[in-house]
Amino acid sequence: MSAVIADVPKTVVKRRSHPAAHGEARFGFAMIALSVLFVAVFTAIPIVASLGLSFFSWDVISSPQYVGLKNYQQLFNDGPVLKSFGVTLGMALAIVVLQLTIGLALAVLVNQRKLVWVRTLFRTAFYLPLLASTAAVSIFMGYLFDYKFGVVNYYLGVLGIPNVAWLTSGFGAASTIVLIAVWQQVGFTFVLFVASLMSVPTDVLEAAQIDGAGPLRTLFRIKVPLISPTILFAAVVALINAMQLFDQPYIMTKGGPGSATTTVTIQMYQKGFQNLQFGYGSAIAIVLLAAILVITGLQFLAARKLVFYQ
Amino acid sequence: MTGIHPPGGTLARRTLLKAGAGGLSLAALADLAACSNGGGSSSKSLKMLYFGEQAAATQLQNRLQPQIAKLDSSIKFEISAINGTDWNDFLAKVLTQIAAGTPPDIISVATEGLQLMASKELALPLDDYVTKDLPALKEYFADIHPALVESMMYQGHLWELPDSFNAGNMFYSTELFQRAGVVPPNESWTLQDFETAATKIAKFKGINAFGWVVRLWGSWTSFMYANNANLLEEGKYDGGDWLWNKAYAGDAAAAGRKGGWKWGAPTANSDATVEALNYMIELTKKGLSPSPDVGGGGTLQGLFASNRIGMSIGGGFWAGGLANAGMKNGSFDVTMFPKWKSQRHLFGAGGYAIFKSSKKKDLAWEVLKLLVKPDTFDLVFPGNVTTPGRKSLVTAARYAKTGPKHWSVFYDTLTKHPDTAPIPAPPYYNALATALNQRTTQAISSGNAKAALDGLQSDLEKAAGAS
Repeated sequence: MSAVIADVPKTVVKRRSHPAAHGEARFGFAMIALSVLFVAVFTAIPIVASLGLSFFSWDVISSPQYVGLKNYQQLFNDGPVLKSFGVTLGMALAIVVLQLTIGLALAVLVNQRKLVWVRTLFRTAFYLPLLASTAAVSIFMGYLFDYKFGVVNYYLGVLGIPNVAWLTSGFGAASTIVLIAVWQQVGFTFVLFVASLMSVPTDVLEAAQIDGAGPLRTLFRIKVPLISPTILFAAVVALINAMQLFDQPYIMTKGGPGSATTTVTIQMYQKGFQNLQFGYGSAIAIVLLAAILVITGLQFLAARKLVFYQ
Repeated sequence: MTGIHPPGGTLARRTLLKAGAGGLSLAALADLAACSNGGGSSSKSLKMLYFGEQAAATQLQNRLQPQIAKLDSSIKFEISAINGTDWNDFLAKVLTQIAAGTPPDIISVATEGLQLMASKELALPLDDYVTKDLPALKEYFADIHPALVESMMYQGHLWELPDSFNAGNMFYSTELFQRAGVVPPNESWTLQDFETAATKIAKFKGINAFGWVVRLWGSWTSFMYANNANLLEEGKYDGGDWLWNKAYAGDAAAAGRKGGWKWGAPTANSDATVEALNYMIELTKKGLSPSPDVGGGGTLQGLFASNRIGMSIGGGFWAGGLANAGMKNGSFDVTMFPKWKSQRHLFGAGGYAIFKSSKKKDLAWEVLKLLVKPDTFDLVFPGNVTTPGRKSLVTAARYAKTGPKHWSVFYDTLTKHPDTAPIPAPPYYNALATALNQRTTQAISSGNAKAALDGLQSDLEKAAGAS
């Protein structure tokens, strides 16, 4: 590197130190600084503060008391909290698998040459739910899926199907919440996949066609490998989001029935903000963060073999 | 009490925050350090927290401001609304606001939050103020049932002046009763009468006989009280004579009153409690009751107002709620909750407390007295959205527009049934409410009340131990 720099003509070096270039650089740093400040204030500091708080017992009102690792010991002996990690992981995996599968299927469908004219319409239609407030969507869906008075069961009844316990049985509630989360989020993966599929080189596709590859073989042997970096990105983002699932189960089922839909974030909220155990709530948050980091790391490890970079 | 802590191992809040933030955030420190200086409102304002929407809070603030100005013309009265689905939500947000360094001077707190606030020493005992102003307050105490006042006591001290309450009565649709050929119930009806009526009403397609909400107040807990059971062992704190002997001298309704309700060991899986929850499961299995919602009861009120629910537990607030939902006076009525092993009712009361950190405690006390005056009640609660704590305000004229016809039931629940008691709300109320909601939905979903209440017993034992 140093040899290359040494070969650069002096005039060029001088031009780079021009006042205008300095101004440009300063503007660039200022822009970056804003982002760094934003991340520091709203992400880094809260994480560090939570980490610090997780070693204390604090009810907000009284002075905090240092308890060392007691909150973490309590966490690993707390059945309901441990169960919430299982519930969260199960629901998150279901959400990610469905979101990616449905998103990809829709993207492939819309990417057909015959359907190019409706691509924008579909992109908008599938993306719209993502723009709606999750709280509003959850309240609305709660009415739709009500066991006795919901519209969904009403129409099932018209078809002669007995009422389904969408939100009042453990499996039903978890499944319904997963479906609603997928419905709301699928537009994000769909838009990513549509854009990514459009960037697949046509010459490669034409070569495959000439070689006699059918649509399915083209999809799984050409398109999917070529968009695998996008799939990895979508999977990582979707999993991080799904692991923080809160609004839908909190609003629609309050974590019930029983604790069937009590996610880690609900436990965190209940312990911290309702039971006034801010230290313990922080410990749950830190363990959730660690879990997300580990799972994301595993995704990247898997990606070494599964993701194809051109 | 939690205000005193062992010196070892304790850190000042500011120190912790400095450590937690790693010195990186001056802004965060400034914000949070406010917690340690007592916070409170500015010197020229008096701040009150209110459970509701900000638009309504601002209207109330404007309505009360002229009267506050008479007390101190230099003070601006500010009411901040805190929205939530129930008191659990409300309290969580209040505590967050306190943590953020902006505690109010006055807070409106219901039974649910009273012992929590008192035990954490957030509120100020009113004993000295009440004793000092007793001559002026005699008219107030003569007009308010001692059960409500006792529910605002904790460890012998009075923490709030109550102004409202809601007892768990039974509302019913007169139209559905008529269609089903059911004679409207009288006040001493039994659980058998209730079920007979429910069975007849449930024959209509798309209509449920009895609707309820999963929560502490007026949920299956009303059945639990009628079955002579409770989630926690009942007891009372000693003390309170300073008030009873002076403010309620000679009042038979005050006999045996003490220093507030003392909630003891959990009894959530007692035979009678299990029996009460089992009864609810049976109602669901028989098709007399739908699976309940968790939360504030807005959906239930809407269903009742659209004649899709025959009966439901409601307090005086249902009168205004149903009228607001478009139900005409006469299309619904109210009666006592049916008799089971007893006809014991539950209630929750509302009132006002002064925050200990307030720098204007004397003014806040004057405002409290203003808030419990008869003329102020309708300024604070327009439209029968709660039951007045003052008996003189529970009149035919009040319910002439909204109904119900048998409005007198609201106050009679206190006067005719001396064993009517507040909902169990110990200092660990939030954990109790969360556990109760989760275990109730578990019971309804699984059909196994015993297993769910064994779980609740364990949850409550842990919560009580941690508090």
